[in-house]
Amino acid sequence: MNRYLSNKKAIALFLLPALLIYSVIIIYPVLQTVYRSFFNWDGLSTATWNGISNYRDLLEDPLLITSLRNGLLFALVLAVFQIGLGTVLALACADPRIKGRKLLKTSYFIPVVLSVTVVCQLWIAMYDPANGLINRLFNLLHIPYQQNWLTSPTVSIIAIAFVNAWQFMGYQFSLLYAGVKSIPEQYMEAATIDGCSKWMAHRKVTIPLMKETYKFCLIVAITSGIGAFVQMLIMTSGGPGTSNYTLTYMIYRYAFMESNYGYACAVSVVLVSLSLLATVIINKTFDRNEA
Amino acid sequence: MKKLRAVLIQAPLWIYFVISVYPLVWMISYSLKNNDEIFVTNPFGFPTHFRIENYTAAWSQFNIPRYFMNSFIVSSISTLLIIVLALMFSFAIARMRWKFRESVRLYMTIGMFMPLQVIMIPLAILVRDFHLTNTYGALIVPYVAIGLPFSCLIFYGFMKGIPGELEESACMDGANIYRMFIQIIVPVVTPAIATVAIFQFLSNWNEFMLAYILISDEAMKTLPLGLLFFQGQYSTDWGGMGAVMTIASLPMVIIYLFFSEQVENAMTVGSAVKG
Repeated sequence: MNRYLSNKKAIALFLLPALLIYSVIIIYPVLQTVYRSFFNWDGLSTATWNGISNYRDLLEDPLLITSLRNGLLFALVLAVFQIGLGTVLALACADPRIKGRKLLKTSYFIPVVLSVTVVCQLWIAMYDPANGLINRLFNLLHIPYQQNWLTSPTVSIIAIAFVNAWQFMGYQFSLLYAGVKSIPEQYMEAATIDGCSKWMAHRKVTIPLMKETYKFCLIVAITSGIGAFVQMLIMTSGGPGTSNYTLTYMIYRYAFMESNYGYACAVSVVLVSLSLLATVIINKTFDRNEA
Repeated sequence: MKKLRAVLIQAPLWIYFVISVYPLVWMISYSLKNNDEIFVTNPFGFPTHFRIENYTAAWSQFNIPRYFMNSFIVSSISTLLIIVLALMFSFAIARMRWKFRESVRLYMTIGMFMPLQVIMIPLAILVRDFHLTNTYGALIVPYVAIGLPFSCLIFYGFMKGIPGELEESACMDGANIYRMFIQIIVPVVTPAIATVAIFQFLSNWNEFMLAYILISDEAMKTLPLGLLFFQGQYSTDWGGMGAVMTIASLPMVIIYLFFSEQVENAMTVGSAVKG
C-alpha cells in the first residue's frame, strides 16, 4: 500500500502537467510583471533598466488620480447596493412565511451567468437618452429627470457602476442568503422570546454572526471596484474623455495601445498591491473586532 | 395586521425580482419587434406579433454561428483539460504520500488571489512568442491555467474525505496506482466533477478580457467578443441586436436553470477559501 502511494514516478506524472501550465501561465507572468516594471520596454526591442522612474512618473500621472477615484466610487456603489440591499433581501427571503423562494433566488442569479458583454449592451440600450427604458420610465412616472446617462462626465461612472452592481447582485445575495441560513434557528427564537422584534433580533443577532460572509462580500466589492475594466471599455471606452478610466484601463491603454509595457507593468503592480492591501486591511479589521 | 406584515416583508423581494428580470424580458421582447414598434408604437409592452425575422437575420447575416462554434470549442476543451489535470494534481496532493505536498498545494492556491490584470501583459507576449496569437490555443491554455487553482481546491476537499479502506481493498485486489485513480477515486468524486465542469464551462464561455486582448482575427472571435462589434456596426437595428443578445444568452441561462444548485455551491465554496 505505502509502496504504491509513494511511487515517485506516479507522483511526478500526476503532478507535472498541472504544475507546469500553472507555473508558466500564472506564476512566471506575475514575476515578469514585477521585474519589467523597472524597465523601459516596448515589448519588442531590448528593455533598458529604468530603476523606480516608472513609479515616479506614475505618481505624477493625472490618470492615476482619476483611476483611483473611480475605483473607490465603483467599490462604494457595489458595497452599498450589493451588500446593503442584498442584506435586506437575504433576511426577507429567509423568512419562513415567504413563498416562491426558489423562483426569487433563481431570478436574482440569472444576470450573473450572462456574459458581461450582453449585460453592457443591454444597459447601453436601457440608458439610451431618447429610446432607453430608464428615461422613458422617468417620463412615464412624471419624474422630471432626463439624463444622458453614459455621456455625462459626472453621472456615467455611477451609471456604469450600477450596471456591475445589478449584474452581480445575485452572487452577493447568494452568499448573504447562505450566511443567514447558516445561523441556528434557536438564536433567533431566544431573541424573540426575550422580547426583541424580528428586525431588532436580526440587527443584534443575525448580522453580527455573519461576519465571515460580510468579510468576503466586502473583499469582492472592493477588489472588483479597484480592478474594474470591461464595463468601462464596452460602455464608454473609458470616456467621456478620460473621466471613466480605472487602473486596469490604464494598463490596457499603456500596454496595448501605446506599447509602453514597462510603465503599464508598474500600474499592474500598483493594482495588485492595492487589491492585496485592501484584502489584508479588511481581514485585520474584521478579526480585531472579534477580540 | 399579520397579512400586512407578510406583504411588507414580501414587497422588497418582488420589487427586486422585477428590477432583476425586467431588463431581460425587455431585451427578449424587443428582439421580436421592429424599430417602429420599439421606438414609437409599443416601447414597453409585449410584442404584438412575434417577428422571427430578427433571429433569422441575426443568424444568417452576422457571424453568430462562427462565434458560437468558437465559444463552444474553446469552453469545452478548456473545461475538459481543467478537469483531467486538476483531478490528477489533487490525487497526488490529497491521497499520495510524499514530503512537499503541503507546499505544492499552497503554491497552487496563490493563483486564486492573483487578479487577472497582473498577468495580462506578460501573457500577451508569451502567447505571441509561442505563435499562439489568433489560435484556439491562445485562449485554451490560459483558461486552463486560470481554472486550475479553484478546481484543484474543490477536488482536494472531496478527495480528503474519502476513507482509506477503499484504496486498501483495491490494493489487495492487485490494482496499481493508476487503476486505483481511475477506477476508485474518479468515480467517487463524480459530484465534484459535475460542479467544476458546469462552473468552469460558464466562466470560460463568458470570459471577455483575455479574449479581447489575445484575439483580433474575426474568424477566431468568441461570442462575448463578437457581440462587442455589433454595437458600432448595427447600432440602429435594435431588433437584430436584441436577437443576437438573446441567442448568446440562452444557452447559459438554460444550463444554469438545470444546474443552479451546482453553480451556487461552487460560488459558495470559492468564498469560503478567499475570506
